[in-house]
Amino acid sequence: MQVDEEELRKALNKPATYGRDLDLSQYSTRAVGEPEVVKEVIERSFEVGVDLRKRDSLTTFLQIDHRALYKSIQRRLEGDIELMPIEEAVKRYEWVRELLWRLRSPYEDKYTAFNALHGSGGYFLRILEDRKMHIPIQACFFMFSPGIIQSVHNIIVADPGSEAQILTGCTTHPKISRGLHVGVTEIYVRSGAKLNYTMIHKWNPGFDVRPRTGILVEDDAALLHNYIALGYVGSFQSYPTARLLGENSKIAMNNIVYLQGSSEMDLGGEVIMEGDGGRVELLTNAVAAEDARIISRGRIVCEGEDGRGHISCRGLMLSDSAEISAIPCLVSRKMSSELTHEAAIGRIAEDQLFYLMARGISREEAESLIVRGFLDLSPMKLPDHLEKGVRKIIDMALEGF
Amino acid sequence: MLLRVENLHVEVGGKLLLKGVDMEIGEGETHVLFGPNGSGKSSLVMALIGHPGYRLIDGRIFFKGVDITEKPIDERIRMGMGVVFQNPPRLYGVKLRELINRVARDRTREDGVLMMLDRLNISEELLERYVNVGFSGGEVKRCEIAQVLAMNPDLLILDEPDSGVDVENLELIGKELAKILEDRSALVITHHGYILRYLKPSKAHVMLQGRIVCDGDPDHILNQIMREGYRWCERCRLMRKS
Repeated sequence: MQVDEEELRKALNKPATYGRDLDLSQYSTRAVGEPEVVKEVIERSFEVGVDLRKRDSLTTFLQIDHRALYKSIQRRLEGDIELMPIEEAVKRYEWVRELLWRLRSPYEDKYTAFNALHGSGGYFLRILEDRKMHIPIQACFFMFSPGIIQSVHNIIVADPGSEAQILTGCTTHPKISRGLHVGVTEIYVRSGAKLNYTMIHKWNPGFDVRPRTGILVEDDAALLHNYIALGYVGSFQSYPTARLLGENSKIAMNNIVYLQGSSEMDLGGEVIMEGDGGRVELLTNAVAAEDARIISRGRIVCEGEDGRGHISCRGLMLSDSAEISAIPCLVSRKMSSELTHEAAIGRIAEDQLFYLMARGISREEAESLIVRGFLDLSPMKLPDHLEKGVRKIIDMALEGF
Repeated sequence: MLLRVENLHVEVGGKLLLKGVDMEIGEGETHVLFGPNGSGKSSLVMALIGHPGYRLIDGRIFFKGVDITEKPIDERIRMGMGVVFQNPPRLYGVKLRELINRVARDRTREDGVLMMLDRLNISEELLERYVNVGFSGGEVKRCEIAQVLAMNPDLLILDEPDSGVDVENLELIGKELAKILEDRSALVITHHGYILRYLKPSKAHVMLQGRIVCDGDPDHILNQIMREGYRWCERCRLMRKS
């Protein structure tokens, strides 16, 4: 899509609808030094599910700061998928340029405008028609330079009848105390395709994060969109928007969040069922410890016949100075639709604690077991080895809890 | 004496539920506790294991000769108590397998646990499910018993192990408990007495309005209750008083 530069410059001052407003001039656009896959990069990437030690044998994309540093396609998947830096894809295929900014507006706010004007990097991933892949494709965005804005644009296209698992991990060097990550991701799930897209984030306390995700799901296609955030962040705001364009399109957005420190997160999701027979599930399980503040928004709009939608938000409060808000919204424009929502926020249930202690488990261990259970991965339908890996990541994040 | 309860007074929310309970259970003995709804049977269970909501006003509890009145729940359990609850909570996100492995740790050999699970007809599929989430009545009881047996306790406290269970599950549970109780002690609470087709307790107690009003031969007491209901115990209590 063609963008209007003048309009973009105007939008550079436009705050986002939600989340704390950030002054973009406070961040640097310059990366320091030549990025390398050093020990800290490997270790930290592993904490967001990306195994860079296996980068030669797994399909992998790695970007550090502004630079796409590594890209490999598993040998037996050659001919099944295309993976390349977005700049290369735009040069190679005219139609990829047409897919940019189709599902999110570049004029939406200062973050999208900045991305359209100054963004650098991101990947283009295409799963070719009817190819079915069961080993995850992994991508990692790593921030290495202090105070930097990493602003990337990803395009994912699942061609008709294809199936794939994508894992994207975003993180930073453990010693970097501030920075801004803006990730624009546009996901096209074509007719009959099935995509499982999982994003795992791990940040430091001073980091700001503004993902902008747009999704389009066609006839009989399904997207499982999973998001996991563990530990600390400065401020995070995201509101993925999805259009279920076709008949019997399905989407499930599952969010699992455990935040501590003074982290602020405004996490939402909106799905518009335009076609008939759409199915939507928006699930958020959020744990707020210490002074963390979490807002969970969900909006389902049903415009097609026989649409079904459900929003569930469960919040677990581990501290009196934390805060969780749940804001579900349902809009129906068809009599045949069925939309529901449920929200529940509370602390660890005493009857559950007592029950576990009556099995000889100490109070601390029982609390930890309940919190781990609350961060339930089963709706994410991750492949076994990835689920085990994510479970380990959760255990690491909850260590000492 | 494995368990000795002396003059136990317990209140919940300002209401006195146990009004001076005395009880002694020796090594290898199985006792049965009868009583109508609301008589205080489950309160006694909660007080024995130390539920913080059940406030001890007076009395002491001794287990294995140690005064456990002030000890927290997990410590009492680790000393060798095991409870099968009547209405256990659902634990979302905690798989039955994970919980059984955790409670069995250091107490029961792995092959012993596997054989016990097999005898209780606990399938691999059930082990992968979240504890008590979507379980049938029979599954809840079988899984409760499996957890407690994995803990290998010296004293089993069974709160209505026969409630909400069909005939087949009752037989399965009854036979397994009978085998286990050959060499350890138990306090069995039962409303209908169905589980007594399989267990042979040495002594029965009847609880009315927070007090043990009658001790004696289990078959005789059960027969009387079946014939005349708890009115018989009520009269018996009145007779004793006079």
